[in-house]
Amino acid sequence: MERVKQPLIHISKRAPMPLWKGLCIRFGAVVIALVISAVFISLSSPREKGFFDFFGSLFSGAFGTERRFWLLLQDTALLLCVALALVVAFRMRFWNLGGNGQVLMGCLACAMCMHYMGGKLPDGLVCFFMIVASIAAGALWAVIPAIFKAFFNTNESLFTLMMNYVAMYLVALFITLWNPMGTGAMAPISDANLPTFGSGIAGKTLPIVLVAVIVTAFIYCYLRFSKHGYEVSLVGESKNTARYAGINVKKVIIRTLVLSGAVCGLVGLLLVGSINHMVSTTMDDNMGFTGIMVAWMGKFDPLIMVGISFFINFLSRGMSQVCTEFGFTSEALSDIVVGLIYFFFIGCEFFIVYKVHFNFRKRGGWEEPDFTMDDGEDEPGNTPDGGMADAAKDACADRPDLPADADGGQTEGGNIDG
Amino acid sequence: MDNFLASAISFGVIFLFGCVGEILTEKSGHLNLGIPGIMCVGAAGGCFGVRIAMSGSDPSGVLVVITGILFALLFAGALGAVYAFLTVSLRSNQNVTGLACTIFGAGFTSFFINSVVMQNGADSLLAKAGQQFFGAHIPGAGDLGWFGTIFLSHGVRVYLAIVIAVVAAVVLRYTKVGLNLRAIGESPATADAVGINVTGYKYTFIVGGAAIAGLGGLCYVMGYMNGVVGSTVDQTIQGIGWLSIALVIFTLWKPALAILGSIVFGMLYILSSRITGISFVQIQLLNLVPYVVTILVLIVTSIVGHRETQPPASLGLSYFREDR
Repeated sequence: MERVKQPLIHISKRAPMPLWKGLCIRFGAVVIALVISAVFISLSSPREKGFFDFFGSLFSGAFGTERRFWLLLQDTALLLCVALALVVAFRMRFWNLGGNGQVLMGCLACAMCMHYMGGKLPDGLVCFFMIVASIAAGALWAVIPAIFKAFFNTNESLFTLMMNYVAMYLVALFITLWNPMGTGAMAPISDANLPTFGSGIAGKTLPIVLVAVIVTAFIYCYLRFSKHGYEVSLVGESKNTARYAGINVKKVIIRTLVLSGAVCGLVGLLLVGSINHMVSTTMDDNMGFTGIMVAWMGKFDPLIMVGISFFINFLSRGMSQVCTEFGFTSEALSDIVVGLIYFFFIGCEFFIVYKVHFNFRKRGGWEEPDFTMDDGEDEPGNTPDGGMADAAKDACADRPDLPADADGGQTEGGNIDG
Repeated sequence: MDNFLASAISFGVIFLFGCVGEILTEKSGHLNLGIPGIMCVGAAGGCFGVRIAMSGSDPSGVLVVITGILFALLFAGALGAVYAFLTVSLRSNQNVTGLACTIFGAGFTSFFINSVVMQNGADSLLAKAGQQFFGAHIPGAGDLGWFGTIFLSHGVRVYLAIVIAVVAAVVLRYTKVGLNLRAIGESPATADAVGINVTGYKYTFIVGGAAIAGLGGLCYVMGYMNGVVGSTVDQTIQGIGWLSIALVIFTLWKPALAILGSIVFGMLYILSSRITGISFVQIQLLNLVPYVVTILVLIVTSIVGHRETQPPASLGLSYFREDR
């Protein structure tokens, strides 16, 4: 029989994997990313700190004191709201990368109301204007790209990206307008702050958490049970099908982005009206981008996203404590660790969707190549697959000559497998 | 005016590196939103290389420049390789992977520059390298009037950028490699059927494009800033990176047009710092201009909608051979 040369690695799609297996692979990827970070950080730390101190600091930074815990909840609530706003657009395959700008415009509108009306009108009335203005400003910033997308099919990801910078410079413009001789920073405004439950950190945070709970419930129901949510999914799957079904695609695009921007504007309102009482150009804290990661890692499901945004904020709050305790001056270490987690999380999806087969030449001849579809049940190779994923990604994260290393990692994993 | 144009060219080449790198990546069908992070990493790697080369007692200028460029290529190429591995081999979502690259790259750069590179008096070494070696131009360029000031007073980076852009234009338009690459960007399945090594091409041009973009970061730090490294350098380069991606659309995926486009963007970007006698508010308004212009170009090209001005057809889609 003539022997056909088989490629060393053959990739095929898996049958859908049981939920717990997928979770195990993702959990493993995150753990390995954390272990790599811990090893790297504890080795390069200028202080005498060990491997396990990393995890200790991580937890104490996130949960150590009551204040830290409430701050963690507050950040989670804000990030979750942004991610929920974005997920509405993503369900429609509209890449809204403009979360930062929409949040900033919400901030700016709120700050404008406080600056121009605060002290002149009764606080209750100003608060009402703040709410309306912030939501409207966020919605406006999202709806401009949406209109052009709907009518001219303008590339929305770049449009929304540019709108971020326009918003940023508009904020800078108003700050200089309000303090012409100032340093570019703005003094907190004491009038017309949003109501809190009591004066402590808990009382300040609770309204924000409450808003996040309401928004989560609303978006979940909107996407899951309403006719609008169905239309959003349908337009995302296929515009032609949607049109054939009698849906006005342009209207759906614009309406969805109004909602998306409005929720971002709401976050801006919370940031200025109840947390900072002033506005700065970096107030969005890059939540528009982090929100995209949360939405994607949460599989566009609002309920999973709650957990993911909690985890991301746990990491970044914990990492700032790690930086302090391990003697690093740069807070940017947190971004590196979070970035590493993203890479591993993104990479491990492959091993959930696809199966890798190896064709090795055994001593004495060719092994029959295994082209059968794996049903994911009777094959003990699933967990080694996950491990192999990590070996390969480990190589790619650390060394520049990636393709060769990646192959090396895969071969190793295959040997364990076989 | 001469000085303004010279500065515009000097700044514009930063965009040009980023833009040509992104064009090469996009022609292979991959929208790399990690370019801002990759440019940051290029700056970090370049500074590191320059720092190493400057540590000797009497560093040679040529060696310093070459080491800087090599390290920028290496670091940026490495992050580009991570992106390529995740999107080509593991078929991840390109937007998400790109954003992760940007977040990681900016964080890495901030950490690496502040905690590793800028130690033990490195700032004076880098400033010296920036002014003397990267800023070195043809002697006597200033004596040739406006022509010398605008075109000849630049460091080697400007000419390198233009050479790379021209080579990229020629390769894309007139060679078999370019034809294959464009075929892959339009329809990878068809290209695969013809026998083109789709994966190989994608890896080559994503990593190569990232390496070229990384030179942009080096160019900002060592060229335009004359080796003065601020602590928020990653934020600035990130902003430039997003504009470079926008410039790809502005120039309709043509590297030759990108030379002109990048100079225009360079002018718009430095406009606010060059016009004297205006208030802070007006400066902020001028800062808006490049972004607003980009938006207008986006809108106009989408309304006009020629086939030549559209992105590669399979841009943003992962290719899996067995999906057909």
